[in-house]
Amino acid sequence: MTDLDISGAWLVDPAAGREGPGEIVVRDGVLESVVWLEGEEAAGVDDRGVIIAPGFIDLHAHFREPGNEDAETIASGLAAAAHGGFTTVCLMPNTTPPLDEPGVLARVRAAADASGSAVRLLAYGAVTAGRGGETLAALGELADAGVVGFSDDGSCVASASLVRNALAYAGALGLPLVDHAEDATQTDGAEANDGFVATVLGLRGWPAAAEEASVARDLSILAEVVRDVPAARLHLTHVSTAGALDLVRRAKAAGLPVTCDVTPHHLALTDEWIAGSRHWAWEASGDPWSDGAITTEPYASSLRVNPPLRSAADAAACREALLDGTADAVATDHAPHATVDKDVEFGTAANGISGIETALGVLLAMVDAGLLPLAGAIEGLTTGPARVLGSGVTARSIGLVEGAPADLVVFDRSESWTVSAAGLASKGKNTPLAGRELAGRVLFTIASGRLAFEAVAD
Amino acid sequence: MSSPTATEASPPADEAPVVVPSVDAAPETQAVAWRHRHLLDLDVVSWPEIELVMRTTDAMREVLERPIAKVPALRGRNVTILFYEASTRTRVSFEVAAKNLSADVVNIAAATSSVSKGESLVDTVRTVEALGAEMLVIRHPVSGAPYLAAETFSGSVLNGGDGWHAHPTQALLDLYTMRSHLPGGSVAGRKVVILGDVLHSRVARSNIWSLTAAGADLWLCGPATLLRGFEAWASRGAAGGGRFNVTSSLDEALRDADVVMALRIQRERMASGLLPSVREYAARYGLTSARLGLAQPGALVMHPGPMNEGVEIAADVAAGTQSVITEQVTNGVAVRMALLHLLAGSRAGGVAPAAAGPNA
Repeated sequence: MTDLDISGAWLVDPAAGREGPGEIVVRDGVLESVVWLEGEEAAGVDDRGVIIAPGFIDLHAHFREPGNEDAETIASGLAAAAHGGFTTVCLMPNTTPPLDEPGVLARVRAAADASGSAVRLLAYGAVTAGRGGETLAALGELADAGVVGFSDDGSCVASASLVRNALAYAGALGLPLVDHAEDATQTDGAEANDGFVATVLGLRGWPAAAEEASVARDLSILAEVVRDVPAARLHLTHVSTAGALDLVRRAKAAGLPVTCDVTPHHLALTDEWIAGSRHWAWEASGDPWSDGAITTEPYASSLRVNPPLRSAADAAACREALLDGTADAVATDHAPHATVDKDVEFGTAANGISGIETALGVLLAMVDAGLLPLAGAIEGLTTGPARVLGSGVTARSIGLVEGAPADLVVFDRSESWTVSAAGLASKGKNTPLAGRELAGRVLFTIASGRLAFEAVAD
Repeated sequence: MSSPTATEASPPADEAPVVVPSVDAAPETQAVAWRHRHLLDLDVVSWPEIELVMRTTDAMREVLERPIAKVPALRGRNVTILFYEASTRTRVSFEVAAKNLSADVVNIAAATSSVSKGESLVDTVRTVEALGAEMLVIRHPVSGAPYLAAETFSGSVLNGGDGWHAHPTQALLDLYTMRSHLPGGSVAGRKVVILGDVLHSRVARSNIWSLTAAGADLWLCGPATLLRGFEAWASRGAAGGGRFNVTSSLDEALRDADVVMALRIQRERMASGLLPSVREYAARYGLTSARLGLAQPGALVMHPGPMNEGVEIAADVAAGTQSVITEQVTNGVAVRMALLHLLAGSRAGGVAPAAAGPNA
């Protein structure tokens, strides 16, 4: 069993609304004591060194098993999650076959058990049978088997009447519909955010309106469904445009049961990266050809992602949404791909970024830039996603709770690490951050009382 | 590529004298200020470098006028021409250019190679390199594909057209053709109109870089659906410098123009709902002699080919006295000879462009 003693660290406990110097003791996997230090004992401890936080929850990851084990397996995905500080992951059902009936869920769970990983695996079921977009999947059976929601992620549920039915049916089961908002009639062949960069690079434009039209549709349907099914819930994942976030903001203000998440890459990267810029979103000028931002080759296929990297203004809107609570959580949309599917022309590359191991580092870059409080970043990875999942779903308290099985991450903000293909536990090496230094090396991840990851001394 | 060159878009002022390579000697023996290993687009090519291409092209034009239009500059060098799109004029132009420089030319058309069996671009590039390719000319339907080829290939890559993105040799031959006709040999301050399907045009995009660098008064004109996204570029200007104009008004664009370049309209544009019909396009945007009357007397008429006569350009205009369309074809050979020569003598050597300094 796991033992760990750390003193002189900075504790962040968003569930308790508290952060400050402290120490923890883990004995036999149980968080035996949490001591908040004060006065002289706290001297010299600040939030720029070793941080202890509750284990992270990822609302959105793809582990590719069954069906595409060259890209990721359950075992490699769980190892990657632990390396990233995550102790709970929610997997999307777009595997081959898709997770649209309990048998596939059983396979996935068996693979997780076989991996021996301490990271807790949760899964969404498909909304439609075979993710075909035509008839409902076995929602009730999937709910009984323990899925945490329903999603056809990778595609939008194109039929508005099916969205209506799924919201009602899933709502009655106490589970959210998790929609990937994309009006596909506007994105046929689309390659990059419709805008200046796509125009210059000759890439087919992917309009913000495609996301916003879909979000508006889902929200107006939700407003009607909740009259009959008050428990209906909508979660919009990887929201990426200022307009879509504004729609969510207004819907929340009107009291609709909607939540949403934003991804680290939509917070920190922009379409200018496709032109060869490597400036963070908050450093972007909007014209990489004029401001000297272009430092590398254009068209890196690791940047091809759905929804696409947007403008600096959209990234700022994602950040604003996280700060004002419009966005409930940061979800990685970890989308590993085999090299053969990415080492091709930009326009033919598979969509997706392998991001579960870099999420913390990217958020810390925002914290370092003074754009996000440390506690806000941690909240987006812990209490935020827990709230989206709903009480009881994660079957443990989120927070540094004495007497509970330890579920926490220890990282060092003062220690940076360089992202490299070899250094990623994920089989998906498709990260645009390769070669980049990120702060916040994870030292320990303890999930459900067991050590899930421990940094090896260099 | 590396950081942009034209942070201050240089007007075509008289630069310090450039050393033009001798066409009769091997390129690597000469001290020429050409530092690009590849030519993928013009966004990273500075104005003095464009001038160097122009003057080298002059030398190549002179070669073409010799009784035997052939020099030994690239003797023994393997130039492989890898085309993933059907093309006659550009492929043959590159082939003639390479042969005029005495290179060994290998032609690969994607339809007849193992590409149709699903081989990736990266594997194909490795294969042609293993077969001896030292310079690679590539045309590809996906924007940006030549950058992937350049990452893999250890020699020089010359972009023969990629997707909607770039067609740098076409833009350079267009500039060369304009300069050889315009008074004073300069396009600075001249009104140049690119007319038609700008959205899907790699020719238009590459011309934006070169013509704004040259100080032209550039106008893009066409139906609004085919100008999508260009207003944002026009108002920022290319590389922070020369701005240009975008309009759907043909009259506004053509009035007092010095050069009118019509672009090809493809029938797929109707199927995808961008245009009502070919007939309507021809009626509203076709370049007819009556419309050409709005331009300056003697304004140049250009077209990158292949033409749909009677659609984007009337047959009598294409064949008329103001047309320099066939001259574009001849100049295309000379420009491509110049570029093959310059790239073969590139000072960049094996250094990756990203690491080779601000103008690399």
